[in-house]
Amino acid sequence: MSVLKPWLNVARCSSRMTVLTSGTQLRSQSTTTEHRLQTPEDWLAFRKEREERKGLMDLFGQYGSTTNAENTFRIRDGLGKPQAHATTSALLAAGAHFGHASTRMNPNFVPYAYGTRAGITIIDLDHSVPLLRRAANLTRAVARAGGIIVFIGTRPDLKPIVHKASERMGKQGYHVGDRWLPGTLSNRRNFFGAEVDNHRMIPDLVVFLNPVQNTIAINECAAEHVPTIGVIDSNVDPRLVMYPIPANDENTRTAELIAGVLSIAGREGVALRDQDLAAEARHRQKNDRIRKLSSKSESRN
Amino acid sequence: MNVLRHNLLRQAVRVSSPRIVTPVRTFSRTHIRHEAPSEPHFSEPKPIPESPSFYTTRAVYYDQLSQLEKTISSADYFLRKNHLLPLPDFARASLPELHPMWKDPSEMASEFKTKMTMTRYRRVTHCLNQINDFQRIAQVGGCPELAQKLQDILSMYESSKKEAYLNKGKRRIATLDEYGRSYTLGKRKTSSARVWMIPVKTTTTDPSPESLLGVEGKQRFPVTPSTILVNNLSLHEFFRFPQDREKITRPLKVAGVLGKYNVFAIVRGGGTTGQSGALAHGIAKGIVAHEPALETMFRRAKLTRRDPRMVERKKTGLAKARKRYTWVKR
Repeated sequence: MSVLKPWLNVARCSSRMTVLTSGTQLRSQSTTTEHRLQTPEDWLAFRKEREERKGLMDLFGQYGSTTNAENTFRIRDGLGKPQAHATTSALLAAGAHFGHASTRMNPNFVPYAYGTRAGITIIDLDHSVPLLRRAANLTRAVARAGGIIVFIGTRPDLKPIVHKASERMGKQGYHVGDRWLPGTLSNRRNFFGAEVDNHRMIPDLVVFLNPVQNTIAINECAAEHVPTIGVIDSNVDPRLVMYPIPANDENTRTAELIAGVLSIAGREGVALRDQDLAAEARHRQKNDRIRKLSSKSESRN
Repeated sequence: MNVLRHNLLRQAVRVSSPRIVTPVRTFSRTHIRHEAPSEPHFSEPKPIPESPSFYTTRAVYYDQLSQLEKTISSADYFLRKNHLLPLPDFARASLPELHPMWKDPSEMASEFKTKMTMTRYRRVTHCLNQINDFQRIAQVGGCPELAQKLQDILSMYESSKKEAYLNKGKRRIATLDEYGRSYTLGKRKTSSARVWMIPVKTTTTDPSPESLLGVEGKQRFPVTPSTILVNNLSLHEFFRFPQDREKITRPLKVAGVLGKYNVFAIVRGGGTTGQSGALAHGIAKGIVAHEPALETMFRRAKLTRRDPRMVERKKTGLAKARKRYTWVKR
């Protein structure tokens, strides 16, 4: 449009007159004096200028405060780099000791409750830490034996956590970040067809980060005799899963911490399995050599 | 439970050696009971599922979605490193328009091997739009390798109907064939005119007697005679009324190309007014095909406009389209 009516460009500066003809698109005009980037050279110049500005900031940054991103206090990235060992202080910092309202406390949860405060149940971390460690040992042992471990966390904030946890475990780790479809195990032939016969697909361990929303999955696991680990809150019966971990199930940081501990234990198990297999292979080779030698000596005799 | 079962394979093939090998409990070597127990060799360990999202029962969909999300985060990181993100307003306004056209849910269902509900489709298209935006920034900002990689990913999800959809409503540009003829269609009322136009061949004229003698008077512009044939009849034979002829020659006069083109037309349908209007329309389009520079002028003069006026239908309760019956007081 501006090519045909160049005088309109002048009028465009004032917001009063806006000529709307067919084909023009109404865009909000920025009032900055920087011109638009039209040619590739404009873009290169824009990037170069930014790079120079950043370089200048970095150069003069040395002469200001010595605090930088490296040495300042940083909150631990619980998702990417969780800690390997469960500690009371870490669980406390993650808010794992906050339970639900005391009025909703399940009577079977009493052994794991420390007490009540401000109307909510406080979970006893002196029970939680050993139980978490027990679950971690179990995960490591199952992984070492070559078992399939499934991490289930069906809330949107739990999705990246289970994803990362399964990635850490390599081939033996699986995840369900969205809804667990009822019948995945009990009606597996319908879902997976021929794969059921050709693959080993019953999991050997299932970890629930929100067991209350996944009771169907827990039922299916129980029917197939699959051991389960679950984060149990104060309103839940701990007997729901085989290896309960009493902690806050609503907190993302707690879930990151627990899933991190379990997946790192699983990763260790996978590494130990590789070691075992390598040792076994070496042993078998040695035995084969011995057998060959003995058969040769026999034939000679 | 599987945990308690020992490794039977290992025990079976144990070789005599002084060192006792502790049987390692391995699930993968577990013997499946209901298979033929008489077999001396145990079955090969069954493979485990490959995809980590196997237990979602929609492994392909979730894997591809996670791949798209990973692409987004890595592209974001790369663009930030290259000082292209975050983009200020003036730079963003300089970017070209985006016209994404993704496959519709039915097409994507085969791609993702699952029924694409609106939620799933929106998730996927949200990711694709984000990647499209990054691809545009990378292309314009001077990162061609990243732009190419992202385009390769996006091309998998682009609809095959994209070309057709974008060109919808756009007028087809008339072109000249190998002999330099234009073929255009004109319409008016219920008539249609098929018009072929070809420039008149200007032969080298013999020098006029004035120029030979050297006494040239007023500068004369050579006017070539052109032919207009309508249904194999000349113009004045087919259109008896001068108004119709006026209408037909108007586009040629406006363009100033009265004697420049030979016109051959076949008109069908309607009456004289409709046929003359259709022919004029076809001739105007033909002139634009031969001389594209006149396109804007013709559009302003409404010569290339297909006159939308058609005979209005008769309505019930009325004598004609608008004519009412005589009003009777009682």
